[in-house]
Amino acid sequence: MPIVQVKNVTKIFREDSQAVSALSSVSVEIKEGAFVALSGPSGSGKTTLLNLIGCLDRPTEGSIHLDGEEISQLSQGKLAQLRLKKIGFIFQDYNLIPAFTAIENIEYVLWLQGISPSERRKRAIEICERFSIQKLIDRRPYEMSRGQQQRVAVARAIVHKPRVVLGDELTANLDHKTGIELMQFLKELNQKENITFLYATHDPVMIQQANRVITLQDGKITNEKAAFSKTI
Amino acid sequence: MFLFKLAFLNIGRNPRRSIITVLAVGVGLAALIFLWGFSDGTNEQMRENVIRLLTGHIQIHALDFQKTLSPELTVPDRSAILEKIKSLPHVQAVTERAKCEALIGTSEKSRGVLLTGIDPTREIQVTDLKNHMKEGEFLSQTDSRKVIIGDRLAEKIQLHVGDKAVVMTQAMDGTLSGYAYEVKGIFHTGSQPIDEVSAYITLRSAQELLGLDDATHEIVVRLTGRKAIPLFLSQMKAVITSDQYEILTWNQIIPEVEQWVQWSEAIIRTILLAVMVVIGVSIMNTVLMSVFERTRELGVMMAIGTTPGQVIRLILLETFILELFGIALGLVAGYLVTFYFGQVGIGFPELERAFSRSYMSTITYTRVEPFHVVQSIITLFIMTSFIGLYPAWKAGRMEPIKAIYRP
Repeated sequence: MPIVQVKNVTKIFREDSQAVSALSSVSVEIKEGAFVALSGPSGSGKTTLLNLIGCLDRPTEGSIHLDGEEISQLSQGKLAQLRLKKIGFIFQDYNLIPAFTAIENIEYVLWLQGISPSERRKRAIEICERFSIQKLIDRRPYEMSRGQQQRVAVARAIVHKPRVVLGDELTANLDHKTGIELMQFLKELNQKENITFLYATHDPVMIQQANRVITLQDGKITNEKAAFSKTI
Repeated sequence: MFLFKLAFLNIGRNPRRSIITVLAVGVGLAALIFLWGFSDGTNEQMRENVIRLLTGHIQIHALDFQKTLSPELTVPDRSAILEKIKSLPHVQAVTERAKCEALIGTSEKSRGVLLTGIDPTREIQVTDLKNHMKEGEFLSQTDSRKVIIGDRLAEKIQLHVGDKAVVMTQAMDGTLSGYAYEVKGIFHTGSQPIDEVSAYITLRSAQELLGLDDATHEIVVRLTGRKAIPLFLSQMKAVITSDQYEILTWNQIIPEVEQWVQWSEAIIRTILLAVMVVIGVSIMNTVLMSVFERTRELGVMMAIGTTPGQVIRLILLETFILELFGIALGLVAGYLVTFYFGQVGIGFPELERAFSRSYMSTITYTRVEPFHVVQSIITLFIMTSFIGLYPAWKAGRMEPIKAIYRP
């Protein structure tokens, strides 16, 4: 069974009484453990599709199933719970909580899950060690470089062992080398822990890292291919 | 705990704005505590002025005497009543008076007065009129045909110490009775109702003038304090079962004082409400600004699983923390300022004439009344928290998608 199932999804935004179609009858299925890139030019609907799959928005038409659960009609509270349990987000601007240190940012998600303080700290330190950011744990976001912040953001996104990690232009603010390193790191996680990754990008180098590429244009899937001969 | 920590850290992110908000709450509360302290001090002095200068805590008369001042309405069985009162707890002193409406004057001018016959030795244990002598001396037990009058009365009928004044009234038997009295002293209490229309002679002289023999019109009781009044009244009901008496408390005799107190407290409550709204709006503005500034951040928090309820709790916590700091500051500052002016007093000598109409003193000693302090704090907390619900509710209703991509 696919971990993500999008069926005939249409998303229309209303701006100044004008309807703008961001997605039009999009259907796609993503299997567990996939490493998928969403590509396409700006305004093609990549971010809209990510937001819908990530339970941040609701489709105008169609249905979305995440891990077997229909999510398009859930309340904000239920969606928040679903995001907490099953989804990890990596944002373009990292979006760490500025008041918290690196380790507090990571622990925050575990706190939301109701995990005890000692267990929280243990798991947060473990992941910091895996990401080689243990020296940064007491630093606040403004005391870290972009690459360091992005690593903390990735640690925050996966510390609670989500089923799907979504990333929106997650290397856009990084230099080329750091971007490649990050993608390789995520791929390693994908392979070792079978976490499903879905990320939007229009950077050809990042697209090449994916096992599967879904191309969107004007709100429609125009092309879909396996980037490499690996199983998707 | 994590949310509390985040709330705390968020407050520290804009220290200047947080300090201004805490100051707004603190100064507002301190002002309220001081205002209540001023009002409570003034009101307390008014009450005590009336009790110490005029009424004592309790007066016992023959029924309807207070209303009619009829000379024949003397206290029935007064000796027995006196003995019983003296045996009750919380009774500090008891005295008796004879009282009537009279005309006092010289050959040129005269005025209507409330003439009171007092037992000087016992009177000074109940009231402190003796401490207010401006000229001459207070009455003594052996004085006969001597009178003391208020300075305003003396001024109006141009009487001086040593002058002779004629006092005329209706005696108990209905005949007109009058004697010439020497002005032994002139007092100044600062209260117009006393200084302008009161004259005092000895009880014996009054009994002679009114033909009362040894009867009196009034038993005046001084208790250990106003708090003892309810207990005393309940005990008196057991002592005096007859309906020939009226037992009046000081505020039944001079009801204007409590009416003034209620009026002044109503004004303060109105001010309190206005101050609360200003403080509340200030807090709401701060928190709302903070929410708007952090829209994207709150959106991200919601995106990673923070529920709307948790966001509401976070914003409310930030509001509470600001309030609590402000309340602590206001409590300390308000208490210190009120305590200080409770020691040194605030003088209004130029307002003496205005104040004297309502038994007010020209120096007000502010007073910290715990009930009003607690009431101010609780009202402030509830009001500002209620107003603070709006930004919290607004934050909780944000859609993460709109918050994250807000331009």
